[in-house]
Amino acid sequence: MAPELISSLSLWQEPFMQRALIGGVISGILGGWVGSIAVLRQLSFFAEALGQASLLGISLALLLGLSPPVLLWPFALGFAWLLRELLKRSSLSADALLSLMCSGALALSVVLLSSLPGARLSLQQLLFGDILGIAWVDLIPLALLLVVTLAYGVISRRAQILISVDPVLARSRGVAVETHRLILLGLLALVVAASIKAVGVLLISGFVVIPACVARLLSRSFNVYVLLAAGIGALSAVLGLFGSAVFNQPSGPMVVLVQALLFVMALLAGRWVAQTTTAASVDRAR
Amino acid sequence: MTASLLEVNDLCIARAGHEVVSGVSFALQPGSDTAVIGPNGAGKSTLVQALVGLLPHQGGTIRLLGHTLPRSGRLPREVRDQVAYLPQKLLLDGRFPLSVSEFVRLGCSPCCNRRKAVPAALERLQVSHLRRRLLSELSGGELQRVLLAFCTVHPRKLLVFDEPRTGLDPQAAVQLQELLQQLRLQEGLTILQITHDLSMVRRSSDWVLCLNRSLCCQGPPEHTLSREELERLYGRDYVLYEHSHHH
Repeated sequence: MAPELISSLSLWQEPFMQRALIGGVISGILGGWVGSIAVLRQLSFFAEALGQASLLGISLALLLGLSPPVLLWPFALGFAWLLRELLKRSSLSADALLSLMCSGALALSVVLLSSLPGARLSLQQLLFGDILGIAWVDLIPLALLLVVTLAYGVISRRAQILISVDPVLARSRGVAVETHRLILLGLLALVVAASIKAVGVLLISGFVVIPACVARLLSRSFNVYVLLAAGIGALSAVLGLFGSAVFNQPSGPMVVLVQALLFVMALLAGRWVAQTTTAASVDRAR
Repeated sequence: MTASLLEVNDLCIARAGHEVVSGVSFALQPGSDTAVIGPNGAGKSTLVQALVGLLPHQGGTIRLLGHTLPRSGRLPREVRDQVAYLPQKLLLDGRFPLSVSEFVRLGCSPCCNRRKAVPAALERLQVSHLRRRLLSELSGGELQRVLLAFCTVHPRKLLVFDEPRTGLDPQAAVQLQELLQQLRLQEGLTILQITHDLSMVRRSSDWVLCLNRSLCCQGPPEHTLSREELERLYGRDYVLYEHSHHH
């Protein structure tokens, strides 16, 4: 066995690695579930905007002398609400408005960070995450968020599907469309804020969106799609951490890289299945 | 005389501060097939959406299945369970991961026996062979039949459609209409549909509402689809077009 592999296996006995693994798996499940619904509602760019705005939340926390996680969750919720109100009231298209908000928030946060005397967090950690720095205390809100998100997912399954199929059809069946939209945006904001620690500001939208894209290529039912997205989120966190330990690379980018590789594999597998099916039906027709 | 399933009196509906429908009164008899016709922007979709509780109304009354609807438009649960509404076009995207049987199951009410009701609805609409297909993979005609299965998986009294034959080829449109008539006769359903297909209205509907913000006329097709009434509803150009089209 390669010495790198042996040393990486022994790393799993270290508490910091175990905490990273638990945090990564919880974040992966959360990102997978919320991403699966967000992708169906075409909210991928919304997740990107929330991710970049989170840097502004962290900068403000540092400026006010607060611990970043204390301010980040309410800041993400507030920013999601602001985006939703602007999207509802503005005559600009959604992509133009999100791009504007995203760049504005990023620019302001970089200015704030550079004006802080002796910033207490490195830009590298903020941009690409610091999953190995997860403390036990960070896992408690993550676990609570997981319980709330999964419970809401089960309770609102019918509503989520009907809203994704057609909001008017959903309303005609008695679904409170606006309430469920608001709750989903809130959960998306919280999941993004909670997962920033693991994968950083720049990779967060990929972390949320890619598992859903992989699952979408492989699923022929809603239940399989959602479960697969959550499973892929968790699996890529484990494989990414393992790859990070073996190749001595930053963990956040490794997690997202694993997700991207899984997407390519799913794409190829999907094409192969389609070609095989077409060839078999041509044979049968002959 | 049988009591009306739906009674509308002097209905007024405004959207964004502008009156879109005004002074509309009519009644639907149980088991009838009523068509709503009129030019684009006449308020047809607004009217039917208000009838099924999707839009508030500002004046008049709507009495549906014995319940007077509140002006806010929200249907009581016991009424909602007996009414199905299908919008003009679903906003489904390319690879929506939802199978036909999963979708039809969503039409069940909590008291419904899903194991029996879903296969029965698929069978009735002749779409059992599509149950594992993705909703997004269906052709226009197949999708409309699946949507009908979704609407009728739970017993309903009133089906409301907004242009159900949009985008269908003539053969699929005729097949859909035949299925609708079959459901109407077998299950005693009442149908209210917006349509631009006047030849289908002539063949199948037994009552027509001619709407252009207010009701221009209403009655059986032989009266409402006369040249004079259509000219009044659509203007002289439309009747000239229809005349040249037939020759």
